[in-house]
Amino acid sequence: MQAIILFGVLASTYLMVIAKRTPALIRYFRYQSFFLFLATFAVAIEERQIDLYIIAGLLFVIKVCAIPYFLNRIIKRMKVSEDLGLFVNAQLSLLCVLGFTYLSWVFAERILAPRNEAQAIMLAVAFFVVLAGMFLMVFRMTALAQIIGLLVMENGLFLLASTVSGGMPFFVEIAIFFDVFVSVIIMGFFVYRINKLFTHIDVNKLSRLKG
Amino acid sequence: MEHLNIDSLFLFDPLSAFFLCVIFLISLPSAVYSIGYLKGESSGLKTALAWFLLVLFLISMGLVVSVRNVFVFLIAWEIMSLVSYFLVVFDTKHEKSIQAGTIYIVMTHIGTAFLIAAFLIMFKYAHSFNFAAIKSACSLMPPQTRNIVFLFLLIGFGTKAGIVPLHIWLPYAHPQAPSHISSIMSGVMIKTAIYGIIRFVIFILGVNSSWWGVLILMLAVISCLVGVIYALMEHDIKKLLAYHSVENIGIILLGVGLAMLFISMNMPYLAVFSLIAGLYHLINHAIFKGLLFLCAGAVYKATETRDIEKLGGLIKKMPQTAVYFLLGAMAISALPPLNGFVSEWLTLQAFFLGAFSVEGGYRLFLGLCAAMLALTSGLAAACFVKAFGITFLAQPRSRYAQNAKEVSLSMRAGMFFLSFLIVVFGLAAAIIIKLLAKVASAATGINTSSMSFSLNNFILSPQAGKGVYLSTPLLAAVLATLGIAGFAIYKLVNREKAVIYKTWDCGYYKLDSRNEYTATTFSKPFRIAFSFFLLPYRKTQKIRESFYHVKSFAYETHTTMVFKKYIYEPILGLVFRSAKFMRKIQPGSIHLYLSYIFVTVLILIIFMRKF
Repeated sequence: MQAIILFGVLASTYLMVIAKRTPALIRYFRYQSFFLFLATFAVAIEERQIDLYIIAGLLFVIKVCAIPYFLNRIIKRMKVSEDLGLFVNAQLSLLCVLGFTYLSWVFAERILAPRNEAQAIMLAVAFFVVLAGMFLMVFRMTALAQIIGLLVMENGLFLLASTVSGGMPFFVEIAIFFDVFVSVIIMGFFVYRINKLFTHIDVNKLSRLKG
Repeated sequence: MEHLNIDSLFLFDPLSAFFLCVIFLISLPSAVYSIGYLKGESSGLKTALAWFLLVLFLISMGLVVSVRNVFVFLIAWEIMSLVSYFLVVFDTKHEKSIQAGTIYIVMTHIGTAFLIAAFLIMFKYAHSFNFAAIKSACSLMPPQTRNIVFLFLLIGFGTKAGIVPLHIWLPYAHPQAPSHISSIMSGVMIKTAIYGIIRFVIFILGVNSSWWGVLILMLAVISCLVGVIYALMEHDIKKLLAYHSVENIGIILLGVGLAMLFISMNMPYLAVFSLIAGLYHLINHAIFKGLLFLCAGAVYKATETRDIEKLGGLIKKMPQTAVYFLLGAMAISALPPLNGFVSEWLTLQAFFLGAFSVEGGYRLFLGLCAAMLALTSGLAAACFVKAFGITFLAQPRSRYAQNAKEVSLSMRAGMFFLSFLIVVFGLAAAIIIKLLAKVASAATGINTSSMSFSLNNFILSPQAGKGVYLSTPLLAAVLATLGIAGFAIYKLVNREKAVIYKTWDCGYYKLDSRNEYTATTFSKPFRIAFSFFLLPYRKTQKIRESFYHVKSFAYETHTTMVFKKYIYEPILGLVFRSAKFMRKIQPGSIHLYLSYIFVTVLILIIFMRKF
């Protein structure tokens, strides 16, 4: 069961990396969050803790439903091209990301000192998701991709925390959820304003603002 | 925080008391003077701000010389630097003030950085910020470390003191501050750096290699000569005085450096004597430089210009200021029987006595230093002949000088007090030396009770039984008698022959103030004599109507600022070039910034794999 979930996370991350359009990216982000929700839900059933149920529920509500919905709505309202603007094309991106997978595997196995094989794989995947999120932030032009990259990193950190220490304390987890949600709203609003002012959301062109 | 225990915070040994006394003696008249000086200069709020800064400045200087904790010392030192920066830029009307302030604050912070480094090295050995603990720990320091600490302290305090080649800020910052502040900065603030050298190098670190003293002596000689030569070339009266501060810091350091040399050679008597000479010149310089800056401020207040080429004839408009300036100029030129003469005489005596007591190359070295000191005094006298003559004598050279009026009572009171001190410190030399012997003894840790520096209260005898005596009251009496006698003879013989007529002008009939001797012409011989160092150059520009008729002719002569051009400008250029290069990694692209982080993370991961 866990192997399938991890594979799902991994696969959806690869899909995000090769996505060329913003709606696709958001859809894959939804998949990734959904697998994350499944993972948490599985642990919750196993341990029968009310906290975990709540966290899983929040995960579903915020990351699977609310954030993707909100982002989709921004895109529709902005009426800009759906193109993500790839600095590195899809094939090369995939190659890079495969390299990162190997790196994070090495990192997880040697540095983080996992207890067993299963935990090593989980660590590697979690760490890989963080790296992939960063990759998205760096190599995609639009501001929306940056927001999603940040969210992907957050997903990775969530996974990392739950693997290493069996999840963060309940209240911390809740606080993070709300932080993420609020930050997405704020950033989305900013992106909307940037678009209104400059008629594009190409972050690369913002460098012209520099004195 | 046992380091900051209030009981162990203050230290009032003779050395601190001496410096507190200097601060008090100079700031009191300057504060009185500022009442008149600030009147009409700026709004009420700004005047209040000036007073606030002045008080803060005095408190911070007082703290610097009286704390016994390195940590608090640094804080006080930094407050002093910052407040003086604000005072330099106080006159915001002039763009130059801002520029001067920037140079000043950059230089002073470079100095402070070296001080912090030195103090941290000391702390590493002592594990305490207390002076006493550091003093005992310093004797256990390895020689290499001691040398490094010494060099750092020298650079740190040297920047504040204005030792060449770290003097670069001084001629910019001192003239830009309001005059009473210039007087305190030049008279007192740069002396806190001398306090630092005496306190930290001689008292705490302890001198045991002779090259320290030699290094300070060499820097001091260079400072003397460079300061006075630049002063000779300068026509801005306050800048001229600022360059003289460089020169006089050199003379003070001659005494201090000599003391360090003699300590390392284990000659306690000469060490104490040299330090007395240095300290005496320190307080003397504080007094007469304070006075001269106040006079310069009075001239500026009355004429609104500091360019002596535009002045002239002020002795008739401002007789009292002229007398005070003349007294200050005589003192700084080391004319007997005033105070500057006594301390320079003592310094020279220290060199001679030292040269007779040491062997080999040191004898030559000390002799050369003495010769340079003599040369410096001569040049200083020439410079003040220029400064006084061009400013106060002859006819007014511009309308600035024509409309001058004597300054207000409070300003004259401040100047009078300092002039009075000049005479007192000249005539009462024998008593003051006894007091300074105690200060020097506390600073060096040498017991002076068995040493004799004086026969009685009127005659100075630096080394009892060697036949070297000086009595300033006697000198004064002789000079007064001779002067009165000469005046009487003149009056008796020449009374009938005085004829008042115009200067003979070879039949030109149109002599006016434009034909007067100027400061530039006065200093021309020196410009030629020191041309190897000053590197003078001239610019001429002719505008011709035809080949035979020149419509206008412009002639300018300048001297090259050697230190600025060959030391500071290359360094500045390097900084700017590297900054421009570093700017390339800051293109303003968010992606690039993110990728810096990303690449760093990846490199860290790969790097960790190796282990």
